[in-house]
Amino acid sequence: MIAFEQVSVTYDGGESPVLRAVTARVEEGELALVVGRTGAGKSTFLGAVNGLVPHFTGGTLVGRVTVFGRDTRTHKPRELADVVGVVGQDPQAGFVTDVVEEELAYGMEQLGLAPSVMRTRVEEALDLLGIADLRDRPLVSLSGGEQQRVAIGSVLTTHPRVLVLDEPTSALDPTAAEDVLAAVTRLVHDLGVTVLMAEHRLERVVQFADRVIEVRSDGSVLEGPPESMLAVTDVAPPVVQLGRLAGWDPLALSVRDARRRGGSLRAMLSGQAPPPSRSLPAPGGPGHGDTVLTARRIVVRYGDVTAVRGVDLALCAGQIVALMGRNGSGKSSLLWALQGSGPRRSGTVDVRGEDPKSLSSSRARSLVGLVPQTPADLLYLDTVAEECAQADRESSGDSPSRPGSLPAHPSTTRDILDRLVPGVPDDSHPRDLSEGQRLALVLAIQLSAGPDVVLLDEPTRGLDYSGKQSLANILAELASQGRAVVVSTHDVEFAAIAADRVVVMATGDIVADGPTADVVGRSPSIAPQVAKILAPLEYLTIDQVARSLGAAFLEPSETGLPDPPRDAPRDASREAPSGSAGPAAP
Amino acid sequence: MRRRTRRWAVADDRRVPRTLHPVAWWIWAVGLATAASRTTNPLLLALVLAVLGVVVANRRSEAPWARAFKYYLAMALVVVGIRVVFRTIFGGDINAEDMHVLFTLPHVPLPSWAAGVQLGGPVTAEGTLAALYSGLQLGCLLCCLGAANVLANPKRALRVLPGALYELGVAVVVALSVAPQLVESFQRVRRARKLRGAQGRGLRVLRGIAVPVLEGALERALWLAAAMDSRGYGRTGGVSRRVRVFVGLCMVGGMCGLCAGAYGLLDATAPLPLGVPTLIAGGLCCAVGLALGGRQVHRTHYRPDPWRASEWVVAGSGVFAAAVLFAGLGAHGHGLNPSTHPLTWPSLPVGPALGILTAAVAAVVAPPPRRPARGGTRPAPPPAQETTCQAGSERAAPPTSRPAGKIVGVGSQASGVPR
Amino acid sequence: MTAGVRPPTPRGGERRWGEGQRHRVAIPIGVRPTAVIVLASFLGFVAFCWPFVVAPGSFGDSTMAPVMFGALLVLVLAVLFSEIADGGIDAKAIAILGVLSAIGAALRPLDAGTAGVELVFFTLVLAGRVFGPGFGFVLGCTTLFASALITGGVGPWMPYQMFGCAWVGMFAGWLPPARGRRELLMLAAYGSVAAYAYGFMLNLSFWPFTLGPGSSVSFVPGASLLTNVHRYLVFDGTTSLGWDTGRAITTAACILILGPPMLAAFRRAARRAAFEAPSVFYDPSTSEPLPAILDAAPATTAGIFQDPHGNVPAPVRSPEPGI
Repeated sequence: MIAFEQVSVTYDGGESPVLRAVTARVEEGELALVVGRTGAGKSTFLGAVNGLVPHFTGGTLVGRVTVFGRDTRTHKPRELADVVGVVGQDPQAGFVTDVVEEELAYGMEQLGLAPSVMRTRVEEALDLLGIADLRDRPLVSLSGGEQQRVAIGSVLTTHPRVLVLDEPTSALDPTAAEDVLAAVTRLVHDLGVTVLMAEHRLERVVQFADRVIEVRSDGSVLEGPPESMLAVTDVAPPVVQLGRLAGWDPLALSVRDARRRGGSLRAMLSGQAPPPSRSLPAPGGPGHGDTVLTARRIVVRYGDVTAVRGVDLALCAGQIVALMGRNGSGKSSLLWALQGSGPRRSGTVDVRGEDPKSLSSSRARSLVGLVPQTPADLLYLDTVAEECAQADRESSGDSPSRPGSLPAHPSTTRDILDRLVPGVPDDSHPRDLSEGQRLALVLAIQLSAGPDVVLLDEPTRGLDYSGKQSLANILAELASQGRAVVVSTHDVEFAAIAADRVVVMATGDIVADGPTADVVGRSPSIAPQVAKILAPLEYLTIDQVARSLGAAFLEPSETGLPDPPRDAPRDASREAPSGSAGPAAP
Repeated sequence: MRRRTRRWAVADDRRVPRTLHPVAWWIWAVGLATAASRTTNPLLLALVLAVLGVVVANRRSEAPWARAFKYYLAMALVVVGIRVVFRTIFGGDINAEDMHVLFTLPHVPLPSWAAGVQLGGPVTAEGTLAALYSGLQLGCLLCCLGAANVLANPKRALRVLPGALYELGVAVVVALSVAPQLVESFQRVRRARKLRGAQGRGLRVLRGIAVPVLEGALERALWLAAAMDSRGYGRTGGVSRRVRVFVGLCMVGGMCGLCAGAYGLLDATAPLPLGVPTLIAGGLCCAVGLALGGRQVHRTHYRPDPWRASEWVVAGSGVFAAAVLFAGLGAHGHGLNPSTHPLTWPSLPVGPALGILTAAVAAVVAPPPRRPARGGTRPAPPPAQETTCQAGSERAAPPTSRPAGKIVGVGSQASGVPR
Repeated sequence: MTAGVRPPTPRGGERRWGEGQRHRVAIPIGVRPTAVIVLASFLGFVAFCWPFVVAPGSFGDSTMAPVMFGALLVLVLAVLFSEIADGGIDAKAIAILGVLSAIGAALRPLDAGTAGVELVFFTLVLAGRVFGPGFGFVLGCTTLFASALITGGVGPWMPYQMFGCAWVGMFAGWLPPARGRRELLMLAAYGSVAAYAYGFMLNLSFWPFTLGPGSSVSFVPGASLLTNVHRYLVFDGTTSLGWDTGRAITTAACILILGPPMLAAFRRAARRAAFEAPSVFYDPSTSEPLPAILDAAPATTAGIFQDPHGNVPAPVRSPEPGI
C-alpha cells in the first residue's frame, strides 16, 4: 500500500512546486495508471514513491510518502530496493552489467541474498517473463522489447511488492509493447504485485487499470476509478474520446465494450460519407501532386543482411506518407538511403533530376532533409540561439534558387522554429528542451536548407497525445507548402490523423501501399481504435466522427482534440473522482 | 541446487564446459613466469613459450580480450629487439680482446654532458647473445602474463576484489558494459553529422561528434545512477563507529609503517628492523584495515566460481614448474643459465624441462570454456523470437499487433509462478 | 526521462559555479584520506624513483626490487582507493565514473605508443578539474584498470600506470580557480607538463630491467645517484622524449580544442547530478522538522516550499549523498 499525504515537491531553484499538496492511495494488488501531459510531474510522482525524489534529485518534500509502512524520509531509495522495483523508459540506460543473467541477479547481490536463493529466483524471473533463451545473451544485442522485459525481470528478482514503471513502452514497437504489457498484467493478476505505471499510449492499458491517477499541469493530482476519471482527464485514448463524443456513461474502455455499445452511433453515422481523415486538407499550392522524388530498386545491405530489397517509391509534393512496419523491417535504412547519407548497394534516387547520393552532403540536405531517430545527435552547441545561427550558416552555402524547386526560404531557422513551436527560449540548452521541442528544433534546422522532401524517422517516440497532434499539424503545414513528407512510425493512431498515404514494410519489402483509409482502415491488426469500433464505416479518427456529428455541440480545443463536455451529467451512484487538491479542495 | 552437486572428479569436470576460476589461471601463469625468471636457457624458454601456446590455443574463450595473445608475442619480439639494439649501439664491449667480434660500429665521440656513455664500438657475438638470452627471458615473462590475461575472464576476476575496493569493481563493471554503447553512439552521431551538411574540417567536426556523444553518455550516467540507487547499490552493512575508527587507524598506521619500511629498505645506514620487518608489519596492518573495511558492504555473488579439482591441478602445475626451477633439480652447472662467455651451445636439462612440461597438463585438465551461441549479435525479427521464447514456459497469445484486449487472455491463462 | 531523474531547473537560482565549486565535488575528501594521500604519494614516489635513491647493497637480487615495489604499489593503491571511497561513493559519482572510464578506455587503443596514453589525458585533466581531486584520482585508476581488462593488458606495469594517471587527475582537481581563456591555457599547460612527467616516471618504472645489464645507459645497482640519473636522462632523452613530446602536444591541443565544450558538458552534468544537493523533508502534521536524517549543516531557506498552513518550517538538510 502506497500513501501520499499532503505531498508537495519543489526542486532546488524551481519557482513553483512540481507536485502540490498531493494526497493519494494505491491499495495492495492494484494496477494504478498515472496519466498526465508531458512535463506535468508524472516522473516526480513516481520518483517520490521510492524516495528518489528528493533523496536522489535534491529538493524539498513537504508531507509524507509511505510504502508498506516505510517512510521515504527515513528510507533512502536503496533501502527500499526490496519493496519497490523501478523500471525506466530506456531500459538500456539502467543496465549495470552486460549479460542478461547477471543483470537479473544484480539487485539481489546488492541485497546480499544467498547464491542458492539467487539462482532459483533468476530461473523464476526468466520463465515469468519468457526470456529463458536469452539468458547468456549480451544486453546490447537484445531488441527493445526484450531489453524492457529483462529490465522488469531484473527488479522482480528482489521480490518487490510494488513495481513502478515509467512509460515502459514508449520506445517500443506495438508487438514488443504488447509483450511487455502482457508480462505486466500477468504480474498483477498472478502474483498480486502492486503496479504504478505511467503510460502515454493509454489505449493499450486503460482497460486493465484499477485506478487512474492524473497529475495535472498545476501539480495537483486527481484519482479515482478509470471509468469516472477518464471522463475528465486531459489525456484520453481514442476509445474514450469516442465515448465522450457519444455521451456514453459509464465510458467504454476497451474496443470490445465500445463495439458492443456503438450500434446506435454506427447507425447515426452510416447515412453519410466520412469526411477526409486529415484535419487540414492540403490546399492546391504550387506544384502539388507533382512527383518530387522517385526511387527505383533501392537495395541496402549491411554485411550479409539485406535491410531493403529492391524498393520502388515515388513521393508527391504536398503528400504525407506514413512508413510503417515492425522494428528491423528496413524503414530507417530506406529513409537514410533516400536521403543519400546512408548506405545504398544499388538502385537510383531522383529528386528533381539529381541523385542526393552523388551530391555533397550540404547540397543533398537542400534536396532531402532527414530528422533521425535520436534528434539530439545533431545538436552540439550550448544554446538554442547558437544552434539556429549555426544552421543559418550551414544552409546559406546552398545555391539560392534551383530551377523548378520551391522558392528559397527567406526566413531564418529561428523564424521556422517559432512557427513550429512558439516560445522556445533562446538561451536554453538544447538538451534541456522537452522531447517535442527538441524534435522541432532539429526539424527547423533541417528545414532551413529548404528541402523539397522531408523525412522523419520515428518522431512520435515520447510524445503524448497533444504532442502528436501538434506534430500532425506541423506536418500538414509542411505538406501545404508543397513538400513531400515521409514519417516512419509505429503509432497507427498517429498515422491515421497525420498521413494521406501509408506504406507498410516487412523484411525489406513494401507489402502495402495506398491511401490511409485503405491500408490501415481495413487491416484487422493495425487498424486505429475508431476504425475497429465503427467498422464497416470507414472512419479513422475522432476528428472525422466529430465533424460528421456536427461540430455544433463541441468546442475544438487548441490541440485540435475535442474537449470533453465538462458539465456532462454524471451518474451520482458512481464513485466520483476524489480531487486531492483541485481548486475547490481544502 | 548447487549444494546438491556432488564433488566432480577431474575427468568428469573437464567434459562440462565452464570457466575455470580466474585465480587458478593467474597462479598457473605466475608460476610459469617465476620458472622462466630462473633461466636464460633459450631451449627452456622456448619450451615455456610452447606450453603457453598449447594451453592458450586449447582453452581460450571467444571474448574480445582472448585475442590479445598475439599482441603479447609481438611485444616480446619488440623487447628482444630493444635489448639487442641497445646492447649493440650503447654497449660496445671495450675489452673485446678474447671475444668474437662480429663487426665494429664507428665510435661516436659524445659531448661532455654524456660523459661515461658509450656509443658505438665493437659488437661481439658474446654480448649480443647475452642480450638475446635476457631479452628472450623478459619476453617470456610478458607472454606468461599475456596468457593469464587471455585465459582468465577479467569480469570474473573482478569478483575477487576485496570488499573495500567494491566501488572500483562497480565502476569498472559499468565501464565495461557502457563501452559498447559508446561505440554505437559514436557511429550514430558520426553518421548523423552528414545530415547537417558536415561542413568544415578538423575543429568543428571533432566538436560536432564529441559533444553529442559526451552529452548522451553523461545523461545516460544519471539514468544509470537512478537505476542503481533504486536497485540497492550502496546499501551498507551497518558497521559500528568503533570499527570504522579502528579501520582508519589500521590504514593510517599501516601506511606509516610502509613509509618507514620503504625508507629503511633504501637507506643502508638505517637500523635493520626499520627495513623489511616494518614493511611487512605495515602491509599486514593495511590488509587488516582493508578486510575490516570491506565488511561495510554486505553483498553476495551470483553463481560464484567454484574451486574444484581442476583448479587445484591447474594452479598446482604452475607452482610445481616454479618449484622445480627454483630448486634447480636435475640441472648441472650452466644448464639453467648457459654461458655466453665462452660461447657454448645450450643444452636441455631434463629435470627443468619436465617441470615446465608439467604445466602443459592445464591444456587437458582445465574444462573447455563455454562457447556462447553465435549469431547473438543481431536480433532476429521480433515475432519469431517471441514465439520461441514463450513456448517453453506457457502458452502465450500469438504476438501480433492486436489490440490490447488480448492481454487479459494471457494473464488469465498463465499458470501461476512457475516452479 | 527515467523515474525521478528530474534535474533541478537549469535556469534560475542555481549557484555560480566558480564559488560553489569546492562544495560540489563529486567525491569529497576528508582529513583522514588526505593524510593517507600524502603518505601514499611518498610511497608512490619511492616506488617510481627507487633506482635513484636506493643505497648500494640494499637489494641482494636486482630483480627483487621492481617486484617488491610493484606489489607495494598495489597495496598502496588499494588502501588509498578504499580511503577515498570510505563510506561508499554516491551512485551518481560511480555512474559518471563508469561512463568516463569507458570513454577513456575506448580512446586508449586509438593511440599507438606503447607507454603512451595520449587521448586519455585530456579527459582525465578536464574531469579532474570539474569533478574535483578525489574524482580525478579515482577516475585515473578506473580508466586504466578498465582499459587493461578490455584489452587484456593486466600486468606489473598496471599499478604504475594507474598511479601515474591517478596523480594526473588528482592534481588537475587542485589547480587554482580561473575562468575562461585563462583556465583553458592553464589546463593545457598543466596537461603538457603532466604528459612529460608521466612519461618520465613511467619510463623510470621499467628502465631498471628493460635494457638488461651491459649497455652504457642501463641501471647500475649500487652506483651513485648522479651516475644513474645521468644514465637515465640519456636513456629517456634518446628513447622516449619524442613520444612524450607527442603526448604533450596532443594533450594540449585536445584541451584547447575540445576543452570549452567538454568543460561545459561536465559542469552541466555536475549541476544536473546535484551532488550534495540538500534534500529536505518537512512534515506539516507536526509542524516540526523530522529528526529523520539530520545534518549539522546550517539550514538554507532557498527553494523551500512553504506549507499550506502558513508555517515556515525550519528546514532540515539530509546529508545526501551520504559520503
